[in-house]
Amino acid sequence: MKYLSVVWTVARKDLLVEIRTLERLVAMSAFSVLIGVLFHFAIDTSLIRAQTIAPSLIWMASIFAGMLGLGRIYIIEDENRALSGLLQSPISLDALYFGKVLSNFIILLSIVVLILFVFAVFFNLSFPGNLLGWTSLSAVVFLGVLSFVSIMTLLSAVAVNNTMGESIIPVLVFPLLVPTVIHTVTATNRIFANRPFVEIEGNLRILAAIVLIFLVAGASLFRFVIEE
Amino acid sequence: MNQSRMKKISMSFGILGVVAVLILHYMVFFWVPTESSMGIVQRIFYIHVPSWWVAFISFGIVALCSGVYLWLGDDRLDAAAVTAAEGGMIFTTIGLLTGPLWGKIAWGAWWTWEPRLTLALLLWFIYLGYFLVRRSALNPEKGKRLAAVVGIIGVLDIPLIHVSVSWLRSLHPEAVVLNPDGPTLDGSMLATLLVGLLAYSLIFVCLFTVRYATELIDRGTQIQDV
Repeated sequence: MKYLSVVWTVARKDLLVEIRTLERLVAMSAFSVLIGVLFHFAIDTSLIRAQTIAPSLIWMASIFAGMLGLGRIYIIEDENRALSGLLQSPISLDALYFGKVLSNFIILLSIVVLILFVFAVFFNLSFPGNLLGWTSLSAVVFLGVLSFVSIMTLLSAVAVNNTMGESIIPVLVFPLLVPTVIHTVTATNRIFANRPFVEIEGNLRILAAIVLIFLVAGASLFRFVIEE
Repeated sequence: MNQSRMKKISMSFGILGVVAVLILHYMVFFWVPTESSMGIVQRIFYIHVPSWWVAFISFGIVALCSGVYLWLGDDRLDAAAVTAAEGGMIFTTIGLLTGPLWGKIAWGAWWTWEPRLTLALLLWFIYLGYFLVRRSALNPEKGKRLAAVVGIIGVLDIPLIHVSVSWLRSLHPEAVVLNPDGPTLDGSMLATLLVGLLAYSLIFVCLFTVRYATELIDRGTQIQDV
């Protein structure tokens, strides 16, 4: 229980900082809506049916918004030496990692939910009409966001004290995200097409395995990326 | 192991490698029969497969040395990891260049999003990240640690990428040597392939030992301590 309360304390601290400044949430929300507008005009609807590719665009927008918001988490903390203070506190580094994963997860999840509804309006998408469809969609969003956040929380630390800053993060993260993108996009497309659950089940299983591997690797390797 | 002994070892592997490469090219151009369905372009196979063989071995070395480096902190392991990563990049690039040359004739397209091609391209980028992280870190010691983390995560991601992209339809020829029912390759083709694997492995060991020695000299580590 003590471990979980440490994780929650770290997450709560990050969320409080975010609520007080609203910097990342505002930037990510505005970006999400604007990228939806750009995507809409980037599609020639006389050639392609927008509803067919909209679920894929939802995940592209989520990943770009996540890059924008989560790429600078440690740079912001390092600017006023808060990161040094955090590292000197008597908490285990894996608890620190899980705390940051939790806060980033809550922030990105709220943005992905916003993207889902905004894109549904922009692209005239119909949400699933039954409970199973909603449960599947929730599971895909939950696992997709957690998978992205677990790897971003680990590798965003690379941007601190680095001559390339956060511009290095996409080069590191995008190749690793391909499995996540394949399964979240496939599952989301099928959910919006009202396909049976058996066609989505396999994607969910692999997404769960990806999340598990990323979280275990992240917690084990976090100390090597965060310590000076 | 002193410097002159290391030089002798790398020279020996280098000479053996060059001889093996010459034999390989003789076999590819003059000895091995032409494959019936794909024709003459299939001969790229004897260059393409050995380059991937070496690329995967070198990435295995990167992950292993990176993991042990993070555990023990021995600088020589990091030197071995970066040396293997450089070799891996060279042979991955050879594989990525020879694949489309073959694919254009065999499949009618330079590139397809086939599982093994996709994995190869992503591996190349993962190891590009490995070098970028190392070079852009303001603290070189931290740069080594970060690169080791990228090396480990990259290798952990390989099965995930392969399983995930395999959901798409595969165009790539099935395994003809490591096939569960035994090799399906003609005897002379298999012999040529084995010479290719040996030749590329020897060249890799030569490059690895030379580069490893120079890396240690660059770092000011005494080779006598190895």
